[in-house]
Amino acid sequence: MTDITRDQLQDGSYEFLAIFLEGLPFIFLGTLVSGFLGTYLPRNAFEKVLPKNPILAIMASGLLGAVFPVCECAVVPVIRRLVKNGLPVSCALAYMLAAPIFNPVTAISTFKAFNDSYFVVGARLGMGYLIAVLVGIAILRVAHGRFLKPSAQAESGHEHHHPRNLNSAMNNSLRDFMDVGLYFTIGVILTSLLKTTWIDPTTDFWKGLTDNSILATPAMMGLAFFLSLCSTSDAFIAANIGNFSYAPKLAFMVFGPMMDAKLLFLYSTVFRWKFIIILLAALFVLTGGLSILAETVYENYWESAQP
Amino acid sequence: MMSALHTRLFGLLALCWGCALIYFYHSQRIQDYLAKDFHTLVLAGGIGIIVLGLYSLINPQEKKSSCDHEHKHDHDDDKGHSHDHDHGEEEHCGDCDHEHEHEGHGPVATYLLTLVPLIVAMNYTQDKLSNRGMAKKGLYEAPALNGLDAPAAFTREDLEKRVPKNEEGEFQLQLFAAYWAAGDREVQSIYEGLPVELEGRVAPEKIGNEAGDRMRIFRKIMSCCAADAQFVGVSMEFPDDAKRPAVDEWVKASGILTFETIDNKILPLLNVRAVVPTEEPYSEFLLRQ
Repeated sequence: MTDITRDQLQDGSYEFLAIFLEGLPFIFLGTLVSGFLGTYLPRNAFEKVLPKNPILAIMASGLLGAVFPVCECAVVPVIRRLVKNGLPVSCALAYMLAAPIFNPVTAISTFKAFNDSYFVVGARLGMGYLIAVLVGIAILRVAHGRFLKPSAQAESGHEHHHPRNLNSAMNNSLRDFMDVGLYFTIGVILTSLLKTTWIDPTTDFWKGLTDNSILATPAMMGLAFFLSLCSTSDAFIAANIGNFSYAPKLAFMVFGPMMDAKLLFLYSTVFRWKFIIILLAALFVLTGGLSILAETVYENYWESAQP
Repeated sequence: MMSALHTRLFGLLALCWGCALIYFYHSQRIQDYLAKDFHTLVLAGGIGIIVLGLYSLINPQEKKSSCDHEHKHDHDDDKGHSHDHDHGEEEHCGDCDHEHEHEGHGPVATYLLTLVPLIVAMNYTQDKLSNRGMAKKGLYEAPALNGLDAPAAFTREDLEKRVPKNEEGEFQLQLFAAYWAAGDREVQSIYEGLPVELEGRVAPEKIGNEAGDRMRIFRKIMSCCAADAQFVGVSMEFPDDAKRPAVDEWVKASGILTFETIDNKILPLLNVRAVVPTEEPYSEFLLRQ
C-alpha cells in the first residue's frame, strides 16, 4: 500500500468516525422523538396550532427552530414523521431548512466566530429563514406525490387505529432509526471519501478563488456541501478559511446547513431524488444571490451607518 | 410493519451501534474525536440505543390493532429492486380496507452498509490525522488577514495583565494566539520580539526549511468534532547545537517570537532557546469558545 493510500485510509477512517460518533446520538434522539410523535400525536394536530393562512403557517414554521432548536441531522426524522401525521409539507420543509440556522446555538457561535458581528449573525439567520420560507411557499401548490416518497406521505382518507402504546412507539423509533441511520452512514462515507481524496481547501485552486468575485461564492457553497459540517461549528471554519469577502462566507454558512453530502442521503428518506436535485439547485441559486445582495447592502449601507 | 425477525435483526444492529458508542466513551478514545461537551451525549446516546435495541429484541412484534387489510410495501430491498406484496396475517395490523405503503431496507443491506464501514474505520483509524491530513486542515497555512469585523484593540498592558510568565520571565502564550497574531498587524507589533513559551505537539516543517534547521509546533482547534478541526502551527528555528524533539512529541518550546514573510504571507516564527518534553494533555483539542 502506498503512503498516500495509507494516509487516506487513516484520515478517511478518522473523519468517518468523528462525524458518525457526533451525529449518531442526534439521529437517535430525532428518531426517538419521531417514533413517539408518530404513535401518540393525534393526526392533523397541527391544524389546530398553525395559522389557517398557509403562507402565515409557513412563516410560523420557519421560526420554530428558535423554540425547538435541532441540528440538521435530527430534524429529518422528526419532519418525516410529522408529515405523516398531517403537518403540511410546505411547513415541514420550511422548518427543516430553517431550524439548523435560525436557532440560538447557531446565532451565538456565529456571533463569536465573527468577532461579535451583528451584521453576519443577522444576515445568516435572516437569509436562512427567508430561503426556507420561499421554498415552502414555492411547493405550496405542488402535489405532494411529486416530491414526497410514498413512505413519507400522510396517511389519509380514513382513520387508522394503530395502537398507541410503548411497543408501537419503540417499533416506530427502531424503524426510523434504521432507515435514517442507513442513509446517514452512506452520507458520512461519501463525505469522508471526498474530504480525504478530492477536497483540499489549502490548494492553489481554492486560494485563487479568494480574489475571484464571480467564482468565490459558488465555490464556497461547493466546499460547504462536501465538508458537511455541523451548523453550530461551521461559522468558525468560515471565519478562518481564507481572505474571502462576506458573500462567500455567508453562502458557506447558509447553504451548508441546508444541503450537504450527508443531508442529500438523509433527505432521500423523505423526498424523491428528483425533488432533492431541484431543491439543491434552487438553494444554490437563492443562497448565492442573497449572499451577494447582503454583501452589497453591507458595503453600501451598513458600514456607512456605523458610528 | 416489520416482521418479528427483521425487528430482532434491526434490534441487534442497534445494539452494536450503541455498544460502539459506549466503547469509544469508556475507552476514552472519544476524546480524540469529539469536544468534551459531546462526551456525555455519546454516553447517553449509546445507552439509549442499547435500550432501544434490547427492547426490540425482547418485544419484536407490535400488538395487533384493528387494521385488517392488504398492505402494499414498496421496498428497495437487498437485491436493489422494488416490489409490492402482501404479508401474512402475522404482519397485518388492523381491519381497514385500503393499501398502505411502507418503505424500508432489509436487514442485510442495512448491516452491510452500516456495520462494515464502522468496522473498517475502527480498524484503520489511528485516532488522529496523518501529516497529509493535518496539512489539509491548515497545519502549514498562514492565518487569514483580519479584515472582517476586527476584534477589540489589544495592548501591551492587556498582554501583561492576561498572560502569565514562566520562571524565565517568558510569556506562556497560547499557541493559537501566536499564530493568529500573524494575521493582525496591531497584535503582531506587540508580539514581535517577545520572549514566549509555547506548548504543543511537534511536526516536521515544510515551509522555509531549506537549511533543515526547523520544526513546527502545533495545536488542534475544534468546536464539535474532529471533522471541523483546524490545525495551527508556529515554525521553530533551532540553533545549530540544539537538541531536536521527536515528531509527535509534546513539548514546551521557549524562545523569541518573531514574524517572517514567505511568498507574501506573514508567518509566526519562534527562535528557539530551549525545548523540554511535557505531558500530553487530557485532550489535545483547544476549544473555540
